[in-house]
Amino acid sequence: MRTLSVPALPALLLAVAAFAVPLVFGANAYIMGLFVSGLIVSGVALAWALLGNLGGMVSFGHAAFFGVGAYASALLSARSGLPVPLSLLAGGAVAALFSLAMLPALRLSGPYFALAILAYAHIFKILATEASWLTGGSAGLARFPTLPTIAGIDFSSRLGSYWLLVAMVAACAAIYLAVKRSHVGTALRAMAESEDATRVVGVNATLLKSWMLLLSAFITGVFGAMNAHIINFLEPDYAFSGSWSVLPIIAAIFGGYRTILGPVAGAVLIYLFDQLVAKALLPVGHQILLGVLLAGMILIAPNGLFGLFGGKRKRAAHAAA
Amino acid sequence: MLELSQQAIFSGLLVGSVYALVALGIALTFGAMKIINLAHGELVLLAAYMAYFIESRTGWNPYAAIPLAFAVTGVVSVAVYLLIDRIREHRELNSLILTFAIGIVLTNAILLIFASDVRSTGSPFLQDAISFHTVYAMKSELTAFFLSLAVMAALWWWLKASWYGRAVRAVSSNRDAAMLMGVDPRRVELAAFLVAGVLASVAGVALFTMSVVQPALGPALTVKAFIVTVLAGVGSIPGVFCAALLLGVTEAMTVTLASSALQELVGMVLFLLVLFFMPNGLFGARARRG
Repeated sequence: MRTLSVPALPALLLAVAAFAVPLVFGANAYIMGLFVSGLIVSGVALAWALLGNLGGMVSFGHAAFFGVGAYASALLSARSGLPVPLSLLAGGAVAALFSLAMLPALRLSGPYFALAILAYAHIFKILATEASWLTGGSAGLARFPTLPTIAGIDFSSRLGSYWLLVAMVAACAAIYLAVKRSHVGTALRAMAESEDATRVVGVNATLLKSWMLLLSAFITGVFGAMNAHIINFLEPDYAFSGSWSVLPIIAAIFGGYRTILGPVAGAVLIYLFDQLVAKALLPVGHQILLGVLLAGMILIAPNGLFGLFGGKRKRAAHAAA
Repeated sequence: MLELSQQAIFSGLLVGSVYALVALGIALTFGAMKIINLAHGELVLLAAYMAYFIESRTGWNPYAAIPLAFAVTGVVSVAVYLLIDRIREHRELNSLILTFAIGIVLTNAILLIFASDVRSTGSPFLQDAISFHTVYAMKSELTAFFLSLAVMAALWWWLKASWYGRAVRAVSSNRDAAMLMGVDPRRVELAAFLVAGVLASVAGVALFTMSVVQPALGPALTVKAFIVTVLAGVGSIPGVFCAALLLGVTEAMTVTLASSALQELVGMVLFLLVLFFMPNGLFGARARRG
């Protein structure tokens, strides 16, 4: 019996919402900008949830991949003249390459891995600031190409970026689903139950976990690169900002990190909440509200707001059967 | 160069003793509950800001703030425990995210109350230097060192001789067996968090007297404490102490011989080397592998 991982109705609702947003807010550049940034967080939240759900690892350092992807793509497109569509993928590839440096941390058990990856994020920010010959240091990096115009569509416009990001998030969700349904996904689910038992039947658990880390880093790097080319400015404190670790975590937990669409929807909602509500209430220290929200979610609904309803429905269906 | 190195080693040893206090706080709660309190760095920072608060308001020596700092960190530490205790499913992962969230809340609360400015002590007494032949130390560093030693000795005695301390060790090594022997693990865990609060309060006040503090420092402190626990490999007090001194000296040497920006980097390199070549830590038993 195969359970449907993407419920058809929420997917449909999200697709309708994706089409409705430009129709309703298309004229408002500020609001469209918020949705564009929200979708960036969606991509990272999806990557975070993939690592958390399939790999069983909590990462507090996705900002590292995000920043590495951003710098790699910006530098490759500016210095080597790589076309931006390719440099985006290269950004992801370099982020995945850098995640190899984290592989020794996979030896560490759950909580220790989380701390190791938190430490890594610090390191990359320092490296980007120190390697000023490459990254421009804390002065920042501004001269690199924006998203191109392809087939008459200007992807550097708000609307163009929006649709490109919608397509990219959808593609990543499809990849996630494909991995989850493949034999790799089955092995990873078994591993979550009992890692030792899975090893005994011949599954190379560490290798599978490594692949999940690489995939998660790749997706995060691509979205970091996208963000860089959209904003068209980079500095270490921004590219490696803790926000790129914190927002996806809250988004994924809020939406339900064991689902695929939950983190996507959660990210947009959380980002809008942070920018429109939290920042209006508390210009300095607005992240305190996000912290309270995250703690509240873990205590009250650790499976996410949408999981809350889904769980109830599942239970009701079970009772009826 | 030699004199500079001597000075770096000496200063590093003094700073390392405070790292040991921070790391022991994390190790204690990890031992008792198998849960890493990611907000521990923020607890230490909270204590540091209590020292700043007392000094800036009254002009007293910041060490006078230890009772207030302990009251605050104690209450927060117990609150963290009570919140963790409410988690029912996937305790290991969810407690990490919960304490991470508490860390965000504390960092931003400090930011809201004390602003983002960098603070340090203004006490002329503590900033006074004492020289020993070729090396010198600020009185604040010496005070912090000896206070840390005293607190560690007290902790050692507590774990060794007191009922609660022995109960903490019993729960650490085998929770079920400890329960069967009539130990209530929840009271023991609560005690561990309270003692972690004591360690954080002393470490925070000491940190304020000997360096600068700012709201964003919390995660860096947690990471340092984590590096120390990985270096030490085991939760023994002497092991953690030696690992913390090693980290302190390595950092000080880097600042002296290279650049202060690389200070945090070198700790990570040390950590990676140990992870690669001695996964059980410098003092961990080989038998614990796997």
